[in-house]
Formats: sequence, structure tokens, C-alpha cells
Amino acid sequence: MAAPVIRALGVLSGQARPVAAGSGPPVFPLPRPERAGDRFRRSTRECLLALAAVDAMLEDGKASRQAIAGDRTALLYVTAAAYSASNREFIERRGGVVHFAYTAPAVVSAEVAIEFGVTGAYSILIGGAPATLRAIDQAGRLLETGRCDRALVLAVEIFEECADLYARHRRLNRCPLVETAACLWLEAGEGELRFRSVRGAGPVAGPTPDRERLAAGPLADLREWLERAPRGPVELSGRWRGEYAELRWSAVRSHARGSAA
Amino acid sequence: MSTPERVSLVAAGVVTPIGQDLEGFWSALVTGASGISQIERVPVADLRVQRGGEVKKMGRIKDWRGVPDCRATRLLVAAADDLCVQAGLRPLPLDPARVGVVVGTALGGVEEGEKALAGVRGPRRLRDALYDGPGDRLARWLGARGPVITVSTACASGATALALGADLLRSGEADAVVAGGYDALCRFVLRGFDALRSLTRDQVRPFDRRRTGLLLGEAGALALLMRERDVSGPRLGTLLGYGSASDGHHIAAPEPEGRGLERAILAALADAGVSARDIDLVSAHGTATPLNDRIETAALKRALGPRAYQVPINSIKGSLGHTMGAAAALEAFMCLLAAQRGLIPPTLNLEDPDPECDLDYVPGRARAGNPRLMLSTSMGFGGCNGALVLEAA
Repeated sequence: MAAPVIRALGVLSGQARPVAAGSGPPVFPLPRPERAGDRFRRSTRECLLALAAVDAMLEDGKASRQAIAGDRTALLYVTAAAYSASNREFIERRGGVVHFAYTAPAVVSAEVAIEFGVTGAYSILIGGAPATLRAIDQAGRLLETGRCDRALVLAVEIFEECADLYARHRRLNRCPLVETAACLWLEAGEGELRFRSVRGAGPVAGPTPDRERLAAGPLADLREWLERAPRGPVELSGRWRGEYAELRWSAVRSHARGSAA
Repeated sequence: MSTPERVSLVAAGVVTPIGQDLEGFWSALVTGASGISQIERVPVADLRVQRGGEVKKMGRIKDWRGVPDCRATRLLVAAADDLCVQAGLRPLPLDPARVGVVVGTALGGVEEGEKALAGVRGPRRLRDALYDGPGDRLARWLGARGPVITVSTACASGATALALGADLLRSGEADAVVAGGYDALCRFVLRGFDALRSLTRDQVRPFDRRRTGLLLGEAGALALLMRERDVSGPRLGTLLGYGSASDGHHIAAPEPEGRGLERAILAALADAGVSARDIDLVSAHGTATPLNDRIETAALKRALGPRAYQVPINSIKGSLGHTMGAAAALEAFMCLLAAQRGLIPPTLNLEDPDPECDLDYVPGRARAGNPRLMLSTSMGFGGCNGALVLEAA
């Protein structure tokens, strides 16, 4: 498959002091972004972080929001667990209309679509890092087949609201949890992209991460790779629920416009 | 550009409020049976509306060993069991590493999250509460070790899952894919829709002047997808095209003109390489909310042009309620069964057509017909619109 090129990448990463969560893994939180407008008063933190990630991406690409508006922009949203916070809020506070509306994973990408006028093809994948690598591959196919002119791969993971649950279920994850929101802007290119995934009952190959960002991990790794500005292809990998996936990609930037955010 | 690989729906399996296998589902649809009843499995006394399309007893599986006590997972496994019987999938006749699973859901295993927060202990409760928990469990039950994907495009999830399953076959990542959708009725969603005031105390009456809202239902719906050139025996039909589009309008309400749905339909027709005049049957999203049915009618008129007035269009949500993540897959199967059996199920409870919904919405009884190309539409929370184009076998 012809590989897409990177137009811009915005990554927001929790780097402040971790939140104590009993015996569980430390959580590095992201603050709730401020955003003017009555519409955002009740918006959830994951939605606001998604919007902030798109802002950061536009800043990185030195592009206006009009550049991504319209029905020729595809939006692929990936998360493993960002909806858990709003689901919990609704369950525990026995919430009403507004709370319920924000429980669906689809609402995060909907907020982006509304705010930036993105009305093209879309998909929402639930899963960890392998799902994001798959979304990049899927975006490449949408671009290659002309179903869009640009594709945004959005990933958001937050943990703070459910830190006690992660502590109770330590087997789910033992690494420090780093809240991350990221958005990658892709356009059609002519390089090479190879996606591969392996599932098995036993341990699967690949390095064990020293911190966990779930679905947002590959985009944070991509930013680090871009900052190093190396030659050659980037290799991104990740695991989730017994699946190990990797992406080998000649991920050139389409325009040398500033560094990754 | 080369012709895309054709992908067949080889067989399908379901568990629904009106039938716990494909034959039962079909028979109930064409005879106008209703699966709406008082909800019994979860407490609803405090809710304004206490009815829905509940699967009363999942009787087809006698031994649930190895399957967690998770309603969503069990709906999926029950549907998979029906599929396996029809397609001879257990044990898998293929290399397990080449068999993928793609499921769509609006709610995942959220009921497990409700239990965990209520203090009900379970070693894997939190893991199952994540929205991709039931899909992972299904893959384990099937013994599939290819790609396992969960999509959550709200009530368009089933359509997205079928399309993504076809993509896995076209890209060569899998040789067979079990794809479809599911969702369970639980306190979480019943309370939510009750608060939204979207639920009706009356019958679900799609496109009827007196329609006052939807009722929720639960179901599992799965198909075996394979590349057409790899299928030697009988099959249900072909998935020809898929289109999606975001409204970009409101987090919960649909765009008032249905522009997103129109774009999704046009994209699906283009993907299938057919035109509006080729369509012989439309399975509408048809939730029976006052807004949805009017918007959908307008979108169908714009997308299909004069053809919108010539084709039968039905909604099966009067029969089983809105089954959320399963809805689009069930509606796709209905289309293919209609083509196979030469009979178009009616829109149940449509008795007094809304003048604003002035298309042929198949009121009354099932109607004879031999559709060859079918369109199925879906709209969901967050402005998710999806459309499938299917071809008879």
C-alpha cells in the first residue's frame, strides 16, 4: 500500500506529578483544557482534550481550521478506555440527559467534527495501541482509494477518574499510566507502509513498555521519532489483549513546517 | 483503478427478541410478530418506560462454561452459535490465525462496569467492562486468532463492522471474518434513553403520523464473510459497498436536513459502483422518533431522487425495538433474506402514514418482491451515519 505522509501531529501528554492511586500504577494526568463557549461548559475532559489535540496539530502544521473542514476529511478515532470516566460519572451520579449523551465513545469524535466542521468518512475503533496502528493503516487505504483528501487519526486516553479501579485491577496494567491526547493529520503519499498484527494464546513478541498510554501510545512514539528527525522508516508497535501489532512506515512529512507539537 | 475484491456474506446467525436463530427471526418478521414486552431482567420500576425488546431466555446454549456471566458476551456467543451451526464453524475449518472477528457495539460490556462499581466482585470484571471486552471473549470462544476489532460508531456500529470485516478480507489480513454487532439491554442504557425522553409508551410506529418514539431492544447478529472467489457453496449475498459520514452538527441530535446520511448513502452507492436507480429495496434506520423518520425521508429523497418513490422501504424496529449495535447487521440480513425468499417484511405498526413521510414504507403485510440490490441505512449518536449496499446471491 502507498504510505500516507504526515502533514502535522499534535500530542498532549501528562507529565506533571502523578496522582496517587493506592497500590495501583501512578497516573500522570492532563489538566482539563479551558475552552471559551457555552457549548463546552458541560463537555467532558476527554472531549476537550480531543479538541486541544486537534488545535495542537493545526499549530504544528501551521494550518488554519478551514484546512481540515469539510467532507473530504476523514476522522478515525481510537480509544481503549477514555469513555470510562463519563460512563462512571453517569453510573454513580445516576445522571440525566447531559451526562448520558457524553457516555458514548462517538461523542469525542463528534465534538471534533462539530468544532472543526469535519464531515467526511469516519470510524471509531475501541482498543489499545494495535487499534491505533490499524487506524493509520486504514487511513492510508482511505487516502489511497480517494475516499478522502486528508485523514485525521485521533487518540485520547484518560485515567484519573478511574485511577482507583485501575489500582483494584492491577493485572490489567502495571505500568505508570500517562494520559495522552493526540491527533495525526495524514495525506496521500508514495512511500511504503506495512502493518502486521499477531495474536496468540501465549506471550507475544515485542518489547514491554515502561509506561502505558494505551491507544495514544503510537502517536506519542511517533512524535518522539519525529523530534529525533532520523532517516529511514519509523517502526511503531504496541500490544493489547494478546495482540501485538507493528507498523513499518516511511513516514515522511509532507511539509517541513515546524516540529511536532 | 482495479475492481475491488467481492466479499460474500456466507451465512448469518442471530439472537433477537423475536427469534433465537435466523429462521425464527425471519419468520417473525414476515408474520408481523412483536418482540416488545415488559423488561424483566433488570429493575425498571423507577423508569418512565419499562418495555423493550428483551430476549427472555437464551435457550440455544445449554453449557455456558468458559463464557463469563456477561449479558453482552452471551448475546454474541448465542448469535455465534447459530452462525456456527449454519456455517459449520466449530471447530474452525480454517487456520485460526486467518480468521478475524469484527464486532460493532454502542455499549460494549458497560453492564459489567455497573456491577463492578456496585461492588460485585469478579476477577476480570473491569476488563470485560471495556467496550472491546465482549468481542475479545467471542474470539476466544470461536478459537479465532486473526485480527479482533471492536468498533463503536453508536447505532451505525453493525454497518461499520461489516464494512471493516470486508476490508480485512480485501487487504488479505484474513481469509474469513465473523462480523456483525450486538448490544444488551441494561440499566445504563435504559436510564439514559429514559432521561432523553426518546422512548415511547405506545407501540413503535416508524413513519406513522402518531409515532412518539422508540423502544430499545437487545440482540446479537453475526455473519461469516469470505472473499467471493473462496466460497464454493451457498451464500446469502454480497456486500457491495459501504459509506460513512459525520454530521458535524450535534452530539446527540441528528442534523435537521439529513445531509450526513445523504453523503453516506451516496458514498455507499459510489463504493458499490451502482446508481440510485439500481436499488430495489431500502432498509431504513426508521427508529420512529418524530425527528428521525422525517429527516431520513428527506435524505432518501435527495440521495435516491425519483427512485425513492419507486422502491419499497421498510423498518424492522417496530418488531424488535432499536437493537443499537446489532441493528444495522440485522437489517442487512433482513435485506438478503428478503431477496432469497422473495418476500419483503412489513413496517410493523405503520397504520396512519405521516404525510411528511410519503414514501412506500410497506405498511400492513409482507409483500412479494425480488430485490436484487438493497440499501441499508443507519444513523447514530454523535452524528454517525452509515450505509451499506448489498446484492442478492
